[in-house]
Amino acid sequence: MAAIESFDNIHLDLSKENGKCRFAENGLGWKPAGGGEAFTLDSSNIGAAQWSRAARGYEVKILQRTSGVIQLDGFQQEDYERLSKIFKSWYSITLENKEHSLRGWNWGKAEFGKAELTFSVQNRPSFEIPYSEISNTNLAGRNEIAVEFAVNEDSRANGRNGAATSGKGKKASAGKDQLVEMRFYIPGTTTQKKAEGEDA
Amino acid sequence: DSNGVEVKKFKRFESYKRDNQFPPKVKDMGIILDQKNATIVLPVMGRPVPFHINTIKNASKSDEGEWSFLRINFLSPGQGVGRKDDQPFEDASAHFVRSLTFRSTEGHRYTEIANQIANLKKDAVKKEQEKKDMED
Repeated sequence: MAAIESFDNIHLDLSKENGKCRFAENGLGWKPAGGGEAFTLDSSNIGAAQWSRAARGYEVKILQRTSGVIQLDGFQQEDYERLSKIFKSWYSITLENKEHSLRGWNWGKAEFGKAELTFSVQNRPSFEIPYSEISNTNLAGRNEIAVEFAVNEDSRANGRNGAATSGKGKKASAGKDQLVEMRFYIPGTTTQKKAEGEDA
Repeated sequence: DSNGVEVKKFKRFESYKRDNQFPPKVKDMGIILDQKNATIVLPVMGRPVPFHINTIKNASKSDEGEWSFLRINFLSPGQGVGRKDDQPFEDASAHFVRSLTFRSTEGHRYTEIANQIANLKKDAVKKEQEKKDMED
């Protein structure tokens, strides 16, 4: 394998601008095509990696050891084998193929992982929400949880400000339709008992 | 007791079987109505997430300054609406996505999407009723 493996037209954390993504033995980097600050990630900080279908082609998601999620999208389906080799031989990490649920159901299980909330339908993830994107949560009603997202106030420009992986609200407001709030119904054990009691 | 019998009648529906069935437009990371598959595809953190029309209760648009908001409400327990066979209400431990709210500066587009969702919902309900009538 070459000392550097390079991929073009890749977006970092849903950046509007694409860039070049490079992998080397000591880590990976991303640089916007139009120039600007580069992002780098040391190989020692790569905790896990997942491959899945994204809006723009395919996505490599990296779960950092120091918590936090890096999303790189815009890959082609046929890049999988090459990437899988890169992760295996350089980082000793399996690029896990995550197939998402396509059923179109709105019920399943909301599970809290280390860096993100995953909503799964029939044991397949339907979507994930990195905690870094959440600005507020509150109990909106009995069994109802409201999750608010940090929308970027400069988001009309949809720009990426520097090495923005530490910033909030970049991902929720990345597209033309910005996600501002999501509500979940979570059954509570007390209400379940009550409901059963009512039925009886 | 009609309650106990009807609960089990949930009919399975599915938006897509394979990810190559997504409309190509999902790459724009916007809200997409896929009439053919009776599905609304919503962008969540860079991922296209399908929601079948059967899961949707309604959609409403509101304005606040230069921003317009589109709130999509899904059928979920405790709302007193929706038929029991639309959802697996027998699974008391299931979590539900109850609503998603998006914003953009294109208010006219949100008005249109809200109308399209209402029409798609109407068509789905009508089709379901026709099916029921045939069965009876």
